[in-house]
Amino acid sequence: MNHSSAEAEPETIEPLRYLSKGDAAAIETELLRDYKFGQQQLIELWGQACALAITKAYPLSALSKKQPTVLVICGPDQNGSIGLVCARHLRIFDYEPTVYHPKRSSHSLHQDFTIQCEKMDIPFLSYLPTEVQLINDAYNLVIDAMLGLEADSSNIKEPYSGILVTLKQIKIPIVSVDVPSGWDAEEPSQDGINPEVLISLMAPKKCALNFSGKHFLAGRFLPYDIQKKYELNLPDYAGTDCLLEL
Amino acid sequence: QAYPLSALSKKQPTVLVICGPDQNGSIGLVCARHLRIFDYEPTVYHPKRSSHSLHQDFTIQCEKMDIPFLSYLPTEVQLINDAYNLVIDAMLGLEADSSNIKEPYSGILVTLKQIKIPIVSVDVPSGWDAEEPSQDGINPEVLISLIAPKKCALNFSGKHFLAGRFLPYDIQKKYELNLPDYAGTDCLLEL
Repeated sequence: MNHSSAEAEPETIEPLRYLSKGDAAAIETELLRDYKFGQQQLIELWGQACALAITKAYPLSALSKKQPTVLVICGPDQNGSIGLVCARHLRIFDYEPTVYHPKRSSHSLHQDFTIQCEKMDIPFLSYLPTEVQLINDAYNLVIDAMLGLEADSSNIKEPYSGILVTLKQIKIPIVSVDVPSGWDAEEPSQDGINPEVLISLMAPKKCALNFSGKHFLAGRFLPYDIQKKYELNLPDYAGTDCLLEL
Repeated sequence: QAYPLSALSKKQPTVLVICGPDQNGSIGLVCARHLRIFDYEPTVYHPKRSSHSLHQDFTIQCEKMDIPFLSYLPTEVQLINDAYNLVIDAMLGLEADSSNIKEPYSGILVTLKQIKIPIVSVDVPSGWDAEEPSQDGINPEVLISLIAPKKCALNFSGKHFLAGRFLPYDIQKKYELNLPDYAGTDCLLEL
């Protein structure tokens, strides 16, 4: 993309910026505080973009199992909320998402997103089978919306540490939202989960620098002033798409 | 979809978005913001701003995207015809009382009835009764119905879009909406 030289254009194309944890947090704070975006608004936009990314990476016609089943593992914080919104949009796109949501946040917005899913008849698992083959058989892919930037990767507690052990063993593809759960946000992981697809929100994080899988970017709504201020050098989105493939 | 960038006749892809004080107006503000992201050049005319905090947030989001806000609408219709490719009518929605339209909207509607450029209305053409097609109201080329079309749109002759794919199945069944299928991952369809 931007890394290849652009001989035809007179201006230099600046490389895409990979964000540190602090930068990402600062951008989000500015969006909420100065640009007056609502948290619900941002989560809805990201969740919808994630669902669209999944339809691109794993179109209904390409799924191998008879039913278009998808397992969505949601954490307690914003990453989990985004997973819930993503599940809801996947349902609308005729996928069959199932949510595993072990620890629910008491945050009212998070609860609202949960109810929106329940009212769309999306099943919620009460426990995740430790028998990996059961997961391999039942679902086409797993969406990892457990831990985002706010998580401390050096200190992952139950139930997420247990879930990560299971995820390292499954054979079906993993799609991670923003940061693969368990990874440090600024360093690629040596022994963490190995997602096939990563959907970065707003801008990619440092840990994704050499990500070898399919890498999407979601967050077309980002105001130009923020893009300039943080020198994001985002590539152009095509047409009216709200996500692009890096 | 109705007016792709390449199809616009003027040199600049300008669009005038007229926003009312309530939800219809807020929808107009969000629409303007997304049009800006899609490389259109929206200008907002927002005569009466709601004190509702959500509405104010949407206004600031637009301002921060460098979307100009007009302080008044020219009554000289030719100025509007010359400056913009189309007008988006996001003034009055279902909550409005079409038999009692106050200023400044009554004045704006007079102007809109005279302009030559296309009007796109959000949900209900402003000034129309929600349940009866209007005899002498504004005449939009495009109508974007939200969730489901309203009774006044029964014989709408222009381009009619439906927006609202997120509607839960239970609600669709309960109200017997019988919505057509949306294609692929589209969030709107043309009726």
